[in-house]
Amino acid sequence: MTQLPSISPSSSSLHNRPSSHQAQDEVICLEQVAFGYSRKRLVLQDFGLRIQRGEFLTLLGPSGCGKSTILNLIAGFYKPLSGRVTHGGEVVKGPSARRGVVFQGNALFDWMTVEQNIGFGFRFKAISKYERQQRVKTIIELVGLRGSERKYPYQLSGGMRQRVAVARSMVVQPEILLMDEPFAAVDVQTREGLQEELLKLHEQVAGAILFVTHSIEEAVFLSDRVVILDRDLGGIYHEIAIQLPAPRYAAMNRVSEAFNHYRTELYLKMKAIS
Amino acid sequence: MSQAISKKSHTPAFKEQDLQTQELREKGVLFCVGIVIPLLILIVWEVTTRQGWIDELFLPSLSGIVTEFLAIARKGYAGTPLITHVLGSLRRVFIAFSIGTVVGLSLGLLMGYYKYVRAAFYVVTELLRPIPPLAFITLFILWFGIGEVSKVLIILYAGALIVMLNTIAGVRSCPQNKILAARTLGANDLAIFLYVIFPAALPSIFTGMRVALSVDFGILVASELLAGDIGVGYIIQDASVFFNVEALFVGILMIGFFGVLSDFILGFISRRLVHWQG
Repeated sequence: MTQLPSISPSSSSLHNRPSSHQAQDEVICLEQVAFGYSRKRLVLQDFGLRIQRGEFLTLLGPSGCGKSTILNLIAGFYKPLSGRVTHGGEVVKGPSARRGVVFQGNALFDWMTVEQNIGFGFRFKAISKYERQQRVKTIIELVGLRGSERKYPYQLSGGMRQRVAVARSMVVQPEILLMDEPFAAVDVQTREGLQEELLKLHEQVAGAILFVTHSIEEAVFLSDRVVILDRDLGGIYHEIAIQLPAPRYAAMNRVSEAFNHYRTELYLKMKAIS
Repeated sequence: MSQAISKKSHTPAFKEQDLQTQELREKGVLFCVGIVIPLLILIVWEVTTRQGWIDELFLPSLSGIVTEFLAIARKGYAGTPLITHVLGSLRRVFIAFSIGTVVGLSLGLLMGYYKYVRAAFYVVTELLRPIPPLAFITLFILWFGIGEVSKVLIILYAGALIVMLNTIAGVRSCPQNKILAARTLGANDLAIFLYVIFPAALPSIFTGMRVALSVDFGILVASELLAGDIGVGYIIQDASVFFNVEALFVGILMIGFFGVLSDFILGFISRRLVHWQG
């Protein structure tokens, strides 16, 4: 068994399982990735990250640290200058339906109803009309959009629109869902509701989630694992595993002792790099 | 005691109007102003011309124009029934606008979507854009003769250019997020074009079509002034030669009427099709 190159001291120390097992469990692997808009000004250098099958991983870090860049590289929107990004062992060459993306806003199709937006991904899949309808119906129930199926995005509130966006990406069951500050533009109460629904969806749909946020609370509440990126060239500054009691979506988790403990730890680490 | 309580639960007598009432009132006043002022203008027009304060050679009376219109409707103009003049003009606009829209739309979609096509035609469009289409009218007559073809072609050109420019702008204004979202949901290039880029460009396309249509009416009249013996533009031109100012106004008002009517129809269709645009 050849040992995969250890890419970051903090990440390898957390996963000390045998490498063969680890490789099988991995969805996404970034190895020695460098990226910049020009070769002279790199955003990422020698960056490594592994995402496990089904895990909820959050990237946290100061603005401009390369969080979104990493997400765009995994999505296939950007190509690394060097190193490689692999998905299930295959090199990522461009966007694919195996990797869903939820944008911060304004990515719904305004000319389609809620139902048509959510069912969009099925147009490109060999799937019976009946199953398609069933799955759209199920997810509409899950995210609380019942009664709005025939509405258009402009008739919905900001929170509802993001529900549609999440449902649209989730319903086709991607192996990983990439979310770039998806709840940044909605008010606090709505955001909390959206977070809880996202956790419920994550329980139902088995795929991994990579989440990018500024909010420490959001990171703790949602994630199985949080990675703090360093200010310079996107090194991994710190990484913690979050263990909160099931069900994870329980609102009580927000005020628990454990939650506070994780939040304090992340806060101090964030403070140290800013 | 009980009386006092029931009194309290009544709505108190407000002195001031609430905001909704104020708004309604204001709308009512604005509507009246919008109706009354044009009516006043018409009345002033009729009175001053009937009293002979304004020479009827320059401005005929309203009633005179109506009488002339009825006369033309009954007897025709220059030996041709009015309906033939009207249909002749409308047919030119309709044919030129339809073909022009298809041509402008196709070119616009290609130029908006493929940056190499856009680069190839960029200089040409930027050169043609500021030239008023009417500048080409005599050239078109030289190339295509004085008949129907040159008239339709000059109208077609003017409209197609406008539709094309608006289509390009519409295609290019499609947010990148929406395109990427479609791609991550498994859409290929054709699907992205059909389901994302084209619908995103539709509002711009309709704006272009409405501007093109009104410009087309202008070019129509100009082309009919120059040559021909049928059409509303011909009535205008012929009437002015014979100082038949009443018939001249009949022509002008008819062009206005059909311009407004066709824009109304297109606006109606546009609001139905691109309802998501406010």
